[in-house]
Amino acid sequence: MITALTRTVAKLLFLPSLMIAVATLVKGYADVGDGFTAGVIAGLAVLLQVIVLGRDEVERMLPLRWAPRLAFAGIALALLDALAPLAFGQPVMTHLPPANVKPIHLGSLELLSAVVFDVGVFLLVFGFSVAAIDLLGRASPDRLP
Amino acid sequence: MGDALTLMAPIAIFWAGGIGVAAIDGWRGMTARGALVVHLAGFGALALLAARVLTSGPVGMIAGNWPAGVGIRFRADPLGIAFALLSSLVLIVAVAYEAIGGTPTRAFPALSLFLAAGLTGLFLTADAFNFYVFFELSMISAYVLTAFGGQPRQLRAAVIFAVVNLLGSVIFLLGIVALYHVTGSLDMTDIAQRMAFAEQNPAILSGTLLFVAFGVKLGLFPFHFWLPAVYTGVRPSIAAILSGALTNIGTYGLLRFGGEMLPRELSLAAPALALLGTASILYGAVQAIGRAAPDEVVAYSAIGQVGYVMIALAIGGAAGYGAAILFAIINALNKTLLFLAIDLRGAFVGPAVAIGALSVAGAPPAAGFFGKAALFRAGLTVGDGAERAALVALIAAGGALSLLYMFQAFGRRYLEPRAEERPASGRGRRRLVAVVALSLLVFGCWPEPLIALSERAAAVLPGRLP
Repeated sequence: MITALTRTVAKLLFLPSLMIAVATLVKGYADVGDGFTAGVIAGLAVLLQVIVLGRDEVERMLPLRWAPRLAFAGIALALLDALAPLAFGQPVMTHLPPANVKPIHLGSLELLSAVVFDVGVFLLVFGFSVAAIDLLGRASPDRLP
Repeated sequence: MGDALTLMAPIAIFWAGGIGVAAIDGWRGMTARGALVVHLAGFGALALLAARVLTSGPVGMIAGNWPAGVGIRFRADPLGIAFALLSSLVLIVAVAYEAIGGTPTRAFPALSLFLAAGLTGLFLTADAFNFYVFFELSMISAYVLTAFGGQPRQLRAAVIFAVVNLLGSVIFLLGIVALYHVTGSLDMTDIAQRMAFAEQNPAILSGTLLFVAFGVKLGLFPFHFWLPAVYTGVRPSIAAILSGALTNIGTYGLLRFGGEMLPRELSLAAPALALLGTASILYGAVQAIGRAAPDEVVAYSAIGQVGYVMIALAIGGAAGYGAAILFAIINALNKTLLFLAIDLRGAFVGPAVAIGALSVAGAPPAAGFFGKAALFRAGLTVGDGAERAALVALIAAGGALSLLYMFQAFGRRYLEPRAEERPASGRGRRRLVAVVALSLLVFGCWPEPLIALSERAAAVLPGRLP
């Protein structure tokens, strides 16, 4: 049963869930976390909104129809990051900067090519799960092909 | 060009191309033609890699510049290259077939590219687990591809295919886990070295798991149950892809895992392989004779033909492996031709099917003759007189039976006058099929390149054990 309470809690949970997803993404390498997990957490946050608020109301606050493009951007980014070292004669997935060079810091966040790869994975998983949720949310028995 | 770039270029082209083709929405004609261009570019990159490998030896690379034993290793040797080129060629033909006819969905072109990326990756990896990853990439593409068309027949075929092959994948994964458990490594070369000192029972168990997994993929006799329903349910281009490109996983897997990593266990299993191969040949032939629909005849013939690959594996050694590779290459081309041609009507089609039928039966001047000839020659290198006689009799009987069922089907389709005949198919598709048939004739008259390639590929594997 969906009451005012569930609606309020669902709305309250949305932004903190996304924040946890981003935290899971960036604290990988040093702690538990990676792009895949972060994508699943963010996707679950959207799923909660769709279940509680209904697809049409969520569509008003989030552009769900952009999810497939997000997934494409993600896989393209990850693949580009993995293949880019080939252009410099290095094997695929070579780390940049190399092991003995100090990476650039943004606060406590280290900028590594592996982070770019994980951001790609995050976008792919998040985009795909939201697109799948959106597709299932739109499908009603009488609208199936 | 650097080693890493030459080695990874084909995979990169297929994968990036797949994403690009999947992303262009709404232009249906463009996606199929675009995918064809990417397939040709990927084939070109593979050909460059092949030239490099065949002239100056294997090319290797460890992902991420990690030390050996830590990172995931890729390597191209003649064995992997031969199967990668073959699979890519079959995919080009199948995609061209769909592009000419105007493909009704945009999923097919992109998925064919992901399938190509998966297949190329698994033929070029030197890591058993990475092999599994690329194997799954190609299988997932194939699950969706079998449903291509969306008719109830195709959906039923797709469900059967997905269920059976997911079970096969689980068994394969268990086999790799067993290999890792026994040797403590996932690198193929390390596994091969350490397996020589492994205890026999765990090694036999891992070998059996892998054999069952690849047997399911091949549609070998006791694991063939899924094959006829799937091959006759899917569209012709998909049947060509399944039998011409995906089956290569089974043959290559048996050669790589059996011939390279578990040679002791493979030679121990030789009698069982020969028995299953014989059962497969006879079962496929007898079933094919009893069928009326041409696609069913070709599907059962596919079960029979993998039996010859098993016989060649059982013979082993350079001659046996060489025959297995040559036979697998020619068989893939035969099946591609037949699955595409039997659905067409009009000029060129009858002769093309006839060439395919001759090639399946192993009669000159089609290329199939040299596949059977290599098998004969390999058979004469082993065993005593009785074994050789049995083998020669089997190959001769199998050939005679396949000649019978192929021309039974051919006669029913093309020689008897029919009241209701479909109109002739489009000229483009008929030309494509004619080109494939001609290439089989060309290889039948000039088989040296194929024979040389399969000999080079077989030389990668260790010889027969004393």
